[in-house]
This record gives sequence, structure tokens and C-alpha cells, in this order.
Amino acid sequence: MKNRILIVDDSFYMRTMLKNMLTDAGYEVVGEAANGQQALEMALATKPDLITLDVILPDNTGLDVLKGIRQEQPEVKVVMCSAVGQEVIVNEALESGATAYIVKPFSEEKVLEIVGSALQETGSEQE
Amino acid sequence: MKSREQEYREIFIAEALEYYDAMSRHISELERNPTDEPALNELFRLMHNLKSNARAMGYNPIGELAHHMETIFGLIRSREKTFTGSVVPVLFTGIDTIGQMIRAVGEDEALPEVEQLLENLDRLVRGEEPILETGPEDEEDASRKLELSDLVYIQIRKLDHLLNLVGELTIDRDRVLTLSQEIGNPALAAAAAHLSRIADELQYSVMDARLVGVGSLFNKFPRVVRDVATTEKKDVELTVVGEDIQIDRNILQIITDALLHLVRNAIGHGLETPEERVAAGKTAQGHLTLSAQAERDDVLIQVRDDGRGINVESVRRKAVERGLVPAATAANLDDDAVRDFLFEPGFSMAKEVTEISGRGVGLDVVKLAIDSLGGQLRVDSTLGEGTTFTLVLPTSIAVKGALLFQLDQRNYAIPLMHTDSVVSLLPENFNVVGGVLLTRVQDENVPVVSLRRLLHNGDGPLAPATKADLNGRQDIIIVNYSNRRLGLIVDRFLRQQDIVVKPMSKPLDTIDLFGGVTLLGSGQVCLVLDVPALTRLFLAKRP
Repeated sequence: MKNRILIVDDSFYMRTMLKNMLTDAGYEVVGEAANGQQALEMALATKPDLITLDVILPDNTGLDVLKGIRQEQPEVKVVMCSAVGQEVIVNEALESGATAYIVKPFSEEKVLEIVGSALQETGSEQE
Repeated sequence: MKSREQEYREIFIAEALEYYDAMSRHISELERNPTDEPALNELFRLMHNLKSNARAMGYNPIGELAHHMETIFGLIRSREKTFTGSVVPVLFTGIDTIGQMIRAVGEDEALPEVEQLLENLDRLVRGEEPILETGPEDEEDASRKLELSDLVYIQIRKLDHLLNLVGELTIDRDRVLTLSQEIGNPALAAAAAHLSRIADELQYSVMDARLVGVGSLFNKFPRVVRDVATTEKKDVELTVVGEDIQIDRNILQIITDALLHLVRNAIGHGLETPEERVAAGKTAQGHLTLSAQAERDDVLIQVRDDGRGINVESVRRKAVERGLVPAATAANLDDDAVRDFLFEPGFSMAKEVTEISGRGVGLDVVKLAIDSLGGQLRVDSTLGEGTTFTLVLPTSIAVKGALLFQLDQRNYAIPLMHTDSVVSLLPENFNVVGGVLLTRVQDENVPVVSLRRLLHNGDGPLAPATKADLNGRQDIIIVNYSNRRLGLIVDRFLRQQDIVVKPMSKPLDTIDLFGGVTLLGSGQVCLVLDVPALTRLFLAKRP
């Protein structure tokens, strides 16, 4: 079984890059959300194994989305995507149940490494 | 040639220009109301995204400026600074400069100098006064060009919806055309003809908007080939040709797995190991070519290797062993016919199952995928020289829901949009009036005709029907055209299915009873009945 991933980022460019990286690596990208509302809806609808979650979203903070998702789906792994200088938010996210974080700009190797090990924590295996 | 880098670059620029427009709007809002919180949040978010994207693209000067700007907007948002005094012109200049930088990237020009600006932003952070230049810049501002991105991105489901709407429009166009012919009013006829042309052009434009370069799929393969070659311990050079060839995005989606399978197969089974190649007098490195070319309305995609080729005799032997063909028949089949056994379910030439290509998926699955598109899959091979798989694909798709049925052991389809219902009736449910079979469907008398008779009737009128023609339970499809119902007696209902209708090739397209042809998953050709034409034929030939 391919691991199923939901991408949440308000930048189309970022979503495209992440999607390409993850699909190339054999993951199934089940959806792309551009804001917090979409993210919550799609997380419920697609039941992904892992969510990449941008820290800053137009309608909501990534932190609020994280908490919303955690309430409904405690088992899903969430990898926060942040930039340099957002250590405080990242720390808070990790305390609120984020599995791991990636710092932008990221390399393909780094993304795959972090996503891969985050999925390992679920006990589910990458194909 | 559009590489993934170029694709990223285009997306980056299009999105950055959007950000720039939004930033310009929000900073003007901020000028009117210096504590406008939504505007501040947006400016902060957009700067942040621009910074991340620019750094990912390696456009570090843009990333650097966006980072500085983000810092100031962050300070204003947290009320450590205010959007007043000398802060205002510096931030306006910052956003203007960002616009110039994005345009410079788009036009491959040198980026503007930003040292002074960065220095000023640093000064603002430190709480010092910036050094403001005055004078000629104002003139530049006045002549500044307003530019919008000429690239929009759109979700495929929106295009799917658009295509569906166009499909429905096409049906209505046909109705209007028919009505106008029946009414015979010249003004109406002219309007209907015009509508028809516009609808055609619209359909063409929507199909065109769905086309993408084959490169967007091909570009994924260098990585695949590298990985598979490493696992299989092969040395492979990949050549990609024709990335610019355009094809419907959904077709590309459907063939993705098929192409992946063919490429894995080529490396796993087609190409030899470097030692085997050298021993056979070939270069140690194997060659794999992925190519696309346009041919009339079709797109040809080929996967070609210069490996060991397919041993026809071994395929022939295996086909007999598997009971696919009697030995006597197999001996007389030509090479092409023998190679076609490769596409039979469960037929695998792999001696051993390898990790890469042995996934229990055979070429039959590849063939099914291509068939579902109304395409063709061919294989050519020369022993010792290599193998070429050719996918012949339609450029565009027009998917229709259809009802499949059998008549005289042949499959036919009727578009669902013309199908009212299906019924199964005993002879006693029919009456004969004036040589025409009638039955009651939902309180309405509906004429019923044997489709076999209608299709094979020839030029004269239909022979009067009698109840004696009806033998046991009759499967009937009630079709509806222009609110006129007609029951067609068929041999057997099959199922409902989405089909891709392809126009008929030349000699057949004069037979106007068929709207096109489709290929079923089984590879069987299936004629698609044109209900309007059938209805007209029945009305003209009824006894």
C-alpha cells in the first residue's frame, strides 16, 4: 500500500514542488489544500496517513489547523513546513502534536527523509 | 522543450506576480488605515511565501529582500513599529522593487541593485532614519507599467466540468438543428447554423485548454530509469524525444502507470547486463528511448530499447503451453500475431520475478488501460536488436455514459443521454397496430421495432411486424429523441459504462446510423448507435 499524503500550503508553487517530490518517491498525494478550511475538510474526506502543513495560512494559522485535525484524527502524522525564524511556532506545534517539521527552503532529500521517518512512527510502512 | 525546472520557473513567476499585485493592493490599504490588521497579515504572509519560493528557486536576492520586508511587516504587526513617517516610502519602494525583480527574472534580465534598499530596511529595524533619495524616481513612478501575469492555473476538475457542459451543449445544439430543419424557418435555420459553429469552436477550445505537454510526464522518467537501472544492475542511457507534443491531461494520467510498466519491463527484461551486451558485440550501456510524436489526430508514444528483443518462438511455445492456442494453429501464426499473445491476461515472459518488474501486473493491464482510451498498443521487435512498444492515443477525449448490449453476438453502445429506460417484456404485452408493434411504457404507447430488422432492412419500407416474430421475453431499450420514444429490441443487455467515442474512419462514416466507435476493455470494437439517425430511419421506413 502506498502511503497517502495531503499537502497543505497556500503557495501553488510549494504545493507543486512537494507533490512532485512525493509522487516521484512513490507516495500517493491524495489532495492539496490552499487554506485552513480546505485542509480540515480534505483531511476528513481523504483520511491521509500524513499531512504536510504550512505554518502560515491565509484564513488560519497552521497551529489552529493542527489542533483541529488532532481532535478528529489523532493517528494522522503531521509534518509542519516552516521557514527560518519560526522556531517558536514550530516548537508550539510539536507540543501540540506535530510529528516533525521541515524548514523551507527544503531539498528533496530532506523532505523524503523527514516524511519517511515521520511515517515510520505510525508503524505503517512505506512501499 | 519544457523541463521541470522551466515549469517551476513559470509557476514561480506567475504566482510571484500575483503576490506582487496583492501586496501593492494591501500596502495601499495600509496607507489609508495604518493599523489595518487583515492587510498586515496578508502582507506578512505573501512576503513570507515569496521568500520561501524565491529561495527554493535559488533567486536569493528576491528572497533576501522579501525576508527584510517580512521582518518589518512583522514588527508593525506586533506593534513594535508603526506604518508612519519614513517607514512608508521605504516599504513602498520595497514592493515596487520586488515587482521589478520578478519581471527581470521573467525576462532573463539583470536584477536591479537593492543594496541601498536593504540598508534602509536594516536601519528601520534598528530604529534609525533611512536615507531617502528624492528627485528623478518620481518620474519613473508615473510611467511605471502595470503588468498582469498571462498565465493562470486551473484545477482539472473545473476543466472536466467545462467539458461536460460542452458535451451537453452539443446535444442541445443537435436538438435545435433538428427542430430548425423540421420547422423550416430560414431565420431560425441561420441562427441554428451559427449556434452550431460556435458550439463546435467552444468544444475545440475546451479540449485545447486541457492539453498539456507530454514532457510533464516524460520528465519524471530520468529518475525512474536511474532507480530501476540501479536495482537491476543495468547501465542505461535514457533519451527523451518530443516532450512538446500536446495531449489531454486525463489521457496522460491514465497512461502513467502503463508507461511506467513498459519502462520497467524494458530495463528489467529487454536490456541485457553490461557483460551480456559486450559478449553480444554491443555497447556496454543500453539505450532506452521514450518518444512522442503527433500523427494526424493521434499521439504516438513509443518505448524503445536496444536490448535482446522478443524471442517469437519462445512466445509461441508458451502460448501453446498456457492453452491460449492449439499447437497446430500456433505453428501457422505469423510473428506479429504471436507477439500479440504478450497482451493476454497472465502471460508473462519473465523467467523469474524481479523486484522491479515482477509485480503481478502484465502487459494485459497496460493494454486494458490503452483500450479504455480507445487507443492501440503495438509491439515490434527484432531478436538481438531490441523491442519497441507503441501506444497510439487520441489527442483528446470525449467521455460519454453508454448502455452496452448485444445483437447477433456483436457489441453495441447507446449513449445514455438518449436512453429512457430498459424493459423486458413478454409477447402478451404487445399490440400490433398498422404493422407496428406497440407497447405501453409509463402510460404511453411506444412503438417497438427489432433493431436487427431496422439495421438490415435495406432501402424499402419495413415489413409489417406480427406478434409471431416475438419469441419469449424481449429485451428492449426505450430511446428518446426530441421527446419521441422508440423501443429497440436487442438480444441481450450488457451493462452501463463510460465510453470514449472516436469518430469513424473514412469508409464507415457515410453510414450515419453510427455516431462513432469505441473499444471495450476486452479489445472488442463496439459501434455507438446514433439515436437521432435511428429514430429518423424508423419514421421514414415504418410500414
